[in-house]
Amino acid sequence: MSQNLYQPINSEIVDIVDESPTIKTFVVVPEEKIKFKTGQFVELTLPGEGEAPFTPSSSPADTEKMDITIMKAGRVTGLLHECKKGQKVGIRGPYGNGYPIDDFAGKEVYIVGGGVGLAPIRSLFLTLIDRIKDFKSVVCRYGARTPDDFIYKKTLFGPWQKIDGVHMKLTVDEANGEWKDNVGVVTTILKRDDVNIANAVAVVCGPPIMMKFATLKLLEFGFGAEQIYISMEKNMSCGVGKCGHCMIGKYYVCKDGPVFTYDQIKDYPNIWD
Amino acid sequence: MQTVFISELKPFLDAVAEDMDLYVPKNAGTHYVYNRYDPAAEAPVEFNNIRTCTPIKEFLFPLRELAAVFPEPLEPKDIKPFAVFGLKDCDLRSIEILDKVFTEEEFEDPFYTARREKMFIISSDCSEPAESCFCTILDGRPFAQSGFDLNISQVKDGFIIEVGPQKGKDFIEKHSQLFTETGEALLSEREENRAGTQKQLEQNNAELKFDTSIKEIVENSQDSEVFDFEAQNCIECQACTRVCPTCHCFYLYDTKREDYFGKMKMWDSCMRLAYAEVAGGANPRKVLGDRIKHRLMHKFSYFLDRYGIDMCVGCGRCVDAEAGGVDIREILKKLNEELKGKDKTKAKVAK
Repeated sequence: MSQNLYQPINSEIVDIVDESPTIKTFVVVPEEKIKFKTGQFVELTLPGEGEAPFTPSSSPADTEKMDITIMKAGRVTGLLHECKKGQKVGIRGPYGNGYPIDDFAGKEVYIVGGGVGLAPIRSLFLTLIDRIKDFKSVVCRYGARTPDDFIYKKTLFGPWQKIDGVHMKLTVDEANGEWKDNVGVVTTILKRDDVNIANAVAVVCGPPIMMKFATLKLLEFGFGAEQIYISMEKNMSCGVGKCGHCMIGKYYVCKDGPVFTYDQIKDYPNIWD
Repeated sequence: MQTVFISELKPFLDAVAEDMDLYVPKNAGTHYVYNRYDPAAEAPVEFNNIRTCTPIKEFLFPLRELAAVFPEPLEPKDIKPFAVFGLKDCDLRSIEILDKVFTEEEFEDPFYTARREKMFIISSDCSEPAESCFCTILDGRPFAQSGFDLNISQVKDGFIIEVGPQKGKDFIEKHSQLFTETGEALLSEREENRAGTQKQLEQNNAELKFDTSIKEIVENSQDSEVFDFEAQNCIECQACTRVCPTCHCFYLYDTKREDYFGKMKMWDSCMRLAYAEVAGGANPRKVLGDRIKHRLMHKFSYFLDRYGIDMCVGCGRCVDAEAGGVDIREILKKLNEELKGKDKTKAKVAK
């Protein structure tokens, strides 16, 4: 492996899955195996064009390939969406801390996700269900703008809901056609007795506005700020705590995060902006 | 430490230039910049009595460099040994700060480290500090304390060279015919000069007195209006971060060349509006005052927490470069006054 921390590992996009009108999952095979912990992120380079941070959405147990689910949000993600199978890309990482899943053992894991925030959560979910007996239960609450905007539809609407120990509820902001389930933002399906708060941890991942209101709701239910794990989306660039772009207060999100307890960051200004 | 004497700089600089590339200060009118040393030049090298305008970081962490190449990996090329003459104590301390960031065990920057290992540091004493110099507030001195290979002090009849660790010793041994011994008289002349400059600096900064640590002052400034007030004068030229020898933010971007793709690393500035913006448009520091505050917090609180030293050496380059009139010393003074006011109010409430 290169000793140069800015040198990506040559990789290839071997498959592309259309998830929603604005979201695609890229299956990437790196030339060297990349071992990561769920919740850590990588820097994906489109050679000659740019680099952006993403949390892999596949299980760390799959060491042959890595799924990276990407929403079209800016210039680099727009160009990635135009890529075809066989495109050469580069991967640096993994970076950051990841979810402390050993600390979740014996507890109820309350996962609140929205939109493309399901990408890191899918990796976490796959990791949890691999050893589901270690946790008291896995309770998931997911929201999307419309039914079309859900990602991982095939597994989300079917097999995942049937796993023993998993309890899942879905909601959409706006229903259409066949949708028979809840309509409303994700906070409308969060209930105080979803989990036994005294023996639970919460994991929140989604657009900033959703994370903010979900976190406030959880605090209102009685969750301690140290029980709520948030995956922060900031402008991570170097990935190794030097370039400064992703700083929130004293933290480098790339190195000290991207997963923080709400307690760690709650006192810094504008964390949701 | 060992000292030796030379009566003229030129033979010494020629000897350095024989061994490696040498960069020396050049008087550019109102300030000094670095130039490549030319042994054949007619004009003698001037002994810079004050730090240069350009920060030393540019020798270790250039404004722009190629950091990665596709598809063949890029490793640091053989960097030739080079020497820089005229660094001051503030410069040496700025290198100590950059070392913390770029030579961290787990995440070592190979390009920085390669240059750092090949750099031969010839520091020198200050004798004419500027009005903007406030190093003494941050434990700086007008003479090098450590971190040099050789340090030069000007005295009436010539120059005293203090010899640093290995690299410095090797050089002095190799070129021993150039040097003579220093005596007690020369060394006490040096001490007198140093004490004089130290006194001058302390007088310059007599008004810059704080009632508590700078860390405590900035940490208590979260709701202060001083930053938004100062932002009115800031024209966002980013000069403060460019000339700062400790600011080390950078930007990675990708380029296309005829036969390869490159990843470039370039200086960036936390004072830039889009600096912390993400693709979705969110930006925690949209407001200029918040960016000024973040910069101060990084220098005097966050960096100190992480690495155990302040990320400011008090060189005053930002004060000199500042086009809009924002002065870091004035901000700290105002924040100190505010904190004093708060403490008084608290004391009253407590009564």
